[in-house]
Amino acid sequence: MKRSLFGRIWPNATAVVLFVGFAFPVYWMFATAFKPTGDIISENPVWFPTDVTFDHFKKAVDADHFWTLVLNSVTVTVLSVVFSLVIALFAAFALARMRFRGRRGLIVTFMLAQMAPWEVMIIAIYMIVRDNDMLNSLVPLTVFYTVMVLPLTVLTLRGYVAAVPKELEESAMVDGCTRTQAFVRVIFPLLAPGLMATSLFGFITAWNEFPLVLILNKDVEKQTLPLWLSQFQTAFGDDWGATMAASSLFALPILILFIFLQRKAVSGLTDGAVKG
Amino acid sequence: MSVQTEGTDTAGGPAVRKARVPAPRGETPAPGTPSRRGAAAPYLLLLPALLATVVFLGWPLVKNGMLSFQNLNPRQLIQHLTEWNGFDNYRDVLSEAEFWHVVERSVLFTAANVVLIMVLGTLTGLLLARLGKRMRLLLLVGLVLAWAMPPVAATTVYQWLFAQRFGVVNWTLDRLGWHSMADHNWLSSQFSTFAVVLLLLVWGSVPFVAINLYAATTTIPRELYEAASLDGAGAWKSFTSVTLPFLRPFLYATTFLEVIWIFKSFTQIFAINEGGPDRLTETLPIYAFVEGVGNQHFGVGAAISFLTILVLLVITAYYLRMALKQEEDEL
Amino acid sequence: MKRKLAAAIVIAGMMVSVSACGGDDGDDSGKNAGPDSFKGQTLTVWAMDGSTPDQWVKDVTAAFEKKTGAKLKFETQKWDGIQQKITTALSESNPPDVLEVGNTQTPAYAVTGGLADLSDLKSEIGADWTPSVSQSSVYDGKQYAAPWYFTSRVVIYNKKIWAKAGIKDIPKTRDEFFKDLETIGKKTDAEPLYLPGQNWYLFDGMIIGQGGDLVKKEGDKYVSNLGDAKVAKAMEVYKKFQSYSKAPKDKDEANPQQAEVFAKGKTGAFIGMGWEAGTAVTANKAIEKDLGYFPIPGETAAKPESVFLGGSNLAVAQGSKKQALAKEFLKIALSDQYEGELAKLNGVIPNKKALESNLKGNAVAEAIAPGAAVGGTTPLIPEWGAVENTPNPIKAYMTAVLNGKSPADAAKQVEAEINKRLAQEN
Repeated sequence: MKRSLFGRIWPNATAVVLFVGFAFPVYWMFATAFKPTGDIISENPVWFPTDVTFDHFKKAVDADHFWTLVLNSVTVTVLSVVFSLVIALFAAFALARMRFRGRRGLIVTFMLAQMAPWEVMIIAIYMIVRDNDMLNSLVPLTVFYTVMVLPLTVLTLRGYVAAVPKELEESAMVDGCTRTQAFVRVIFPLLAPGLMATSLFGFITAWNEFPLVLILNKDVEKQTLPLWLSQFQTAFGDDWGATMAASSLFALPILILFIFLQRKAVSGLTDGAVKG
Repeated sequence: MSVQTEGTDTAGGPAVRKARVPAPRGETPAPGTPSRRGAAAPYLLLLPALLATVVFLGWPLVKNGMLSFQNLNPRQLIQHLTEWNGFDNYRDVLSEAEFWHVVERSVLFTAANVVLIMVLGTLTGLLLARLGKRMRLLLLVGLVLAWAMPPVAATTVYQWLFAQRFGVVNWTLDRLGWHSMADHNWLSSQFSTFAVVLLLLVWGSVPFVAINLYAATTTIPRELYEAASLDGAGAWKSFTSVTLPFLRPFLYATTFLEVIWIFKSFTQIFAINEGGPDRLTETLPIYAFVEGVGNQHFGVGAAISFLTILVLLVITAYYLRMALKQEEDEL
Repeated sequence: MKRKLAAAIVIAGMMVSVSACGGDDGDDSGKNAGPDSFKGQTLTVWAMDGSTPDQWVKDVTAAFEKKTGAKLKFETQKWDGIQQKITTALSESNPPDVLEVGNTQTPAYAVTGGLADLSDLKSEIGADWTPSVSQSSVYDGKQYAAPWYFTSRVVIYNKKIWAKAGIKDIPKTRDEFFKDLETIGKKTDAEPLYLPGQNWYLFDGMIIGQGGDLVKKEGDKYVSNLGDAKVAKAMEVYKKFQSYSKAPKDKDEANPQQAEVFAKGKTGAFIGMGWEAGTAVTANKAIEKDLGYFPIPGETAAKPESVFLGGSNLAVAQGSKKQALAKEFLKIALSDQYEGELAKLNGVIPNKKALESNLKGNAVAEAIAPGAAVGGTTPLIPEWGAVENTPNPIKAYMTAVLNGKSPADAAKQVEAEINKRLAQEN
């Protein structure tokens, strides 16, 4: 099909504009974090940091208990993502591949669970955790984050399981595999990109959560990074260099994770399209 | 990541291309499988997920429901007193004009956001499908960066972008000739605060829609387009007769999720300006938080939470009903 | 037999540590209050940001650990969201043992039952506490907190900038002050004054200066008095001050920390607490030599501007299992030695007259004294606490006026909310 010059240019031009629009805030965060303060508060923005400084990062990391918070955040996030993936995989398999009474109701249950507004229930959660003597602990955080991301994980994984051709499983079973073996050897490898892609939602949710940890864990040593970031911001107010350095440090692990996992997931998608 | 809630089974989204061969849905027990064990299997597989959800979501919900019928202020909270007060909290909340303003505001705010997100997300997704390999990668990188920004960090960055002094947005507007914006305080009015929040939410949500929609388009069988063009369909016609019907279930599901996410969004609105100025950007979750936790009127807060859930159920009722029906047809 | 023994221990305990009675649970009553009897315990103290200078913490900790054998842990709290944090903490089984509570918020906590009755401590060490300072902690005839210190706002200015503008004397009246600020604006590139729109404690002082009040009594209920002409007049004064600042009209002095802004050396002056000078010096050591202080000038040279007397009390959590140890801490922290040291280091006014000699030669304290003499507080009623909850309607009122609304209209806009909160059950 022939396209006019205009027809060829505008998609690319739009893509560039969109790229700038989406990437700029992230770029500006990193750029500000590396700029000396004089370049940050200047009448005309300095678009590209020329003298790179690490002072802001030093200030950001200098906070009390910083590394404890990092450890707590990583622990809680990784555990809740792993737990929710494992639990959800069982459920997703049943929902995608089996026929049983109450299936419809269960799917809608997960849809409803996905709607739960956790932030508005924090007093109820607080009282439950308090009355069970579990305050200042990472356990309730892990549990609640797991349940927070579980419904969407189930619903999403269900799609991935359903997309694995059933014949593959059946032929494996004809070859003498049990259903479990067929799952582990045939379906699971095919599900890997799906699992990775699904985990992103969990990572971002658990990594970012702060109203709950704010009320549950008053002990600094049991807090997580979002609290550090939000308190940092009030404490340093208009010190944008340090605030952006803190934001960069906070966002970086998730950004890396997304770029890494998303590439796999998307390439899985395109592969499928090419082969199809 | 791809979403597949009910109703998307016929369309794409999943990472691995779905087999085109129509496979019978549901389970055909493999020969030799004891049927009794087979019958219990799905329930056993679902048990952990259900148990976790029922216990750790159901419990707070029930607790929240109970609190909403109590007079719960600092004194009661500190002394662990339970003072039932019937429907007082609900009566107080529902009789307050402010509450209804907030409901209206939340619904409009959600609608504006979701419409923008879905339109821009769909267009961006279609653009992705049309781009060459290199440009597509470039745009994907931009989208993934925005998508991956944790809201707490993103909100901080937006505060800096829109800062009154030295904020790059004000500088740009000034340079473009809009000089009154040089020292503009974006958080000084309801409208412009919402504008910032809206931009933040749209920026953060479009990538999800766009990337998944693009993924879905890659699963549209090429033969369908060929058949359409044989029928003499132009670009627009083949879009409306092939692409759109194929994507429809996916669009429904995504809209459903975006409605939920936007309606529930808390971090972005609260961190930008704590619902200000003058509490004019409080949506229902913020209102529940400010009245309950902020104002230490925990019983009233619980009642507002409960009403928030009700409103969300009403908004999504249409989709849920549709999902239920589709499930019925399927089985 | 066993019961008798237990009773004997209880009696012995009561004889030694009289302070352990009065509503606490019996955990401590068998213990001897002498040295080393608390070994292995850790006392947690919540102090607010800026209240406790490092040196003081070090000295008090050393004295406390020496006397009791227990450990002392200070945890610094931010003002932002502190009410909710204290409320939930007091409800927990393991609350902070001692906590600093602002004087305006103390009555609200006293009625919740979350604070231990310290009447016995008062009779032991509080005979000479300044009555007006101690008053905020008394509810229903019981002492729910020990007065710790109070302070008020002064003008903290950058001498270098003022010299650059050619100003020699500190202003004695409000008009002189305005003129000086104008001069700074004209002759230097500095911002004359950093004053955000929501420094509502400063505004409260100005209301007191006008002879007004934030609430009035209607029948047996308190209602908002924001519509009063005196309040409007105070707001006009505030507005005039604020016009010399580029600070945001919709933020308070902690967002960003005004001392941090001032520390950059590009601001002529700001109005803050004495310890905020310390915050500025921490942020930028070079500013120390340029710091100066003077009372906020009033209408006439004879009477400086009235100020809000921000006080802090030390309370013991009712739920604390270490009540006796907590009282030991209070006895040390509030002793003449350490109370005096705190006054000296932070430039705050101590809880008894006799210790005010510590402030001699302290530039901050000397600037505070004249204003404090004509100062006042927010209404000391339990109902008041809720008004200060975020979002504070008084702050909304201030921003509205600063953005051009008439004081009367702005008052109308927030009065319903204030009345609602005043009527809120505790």
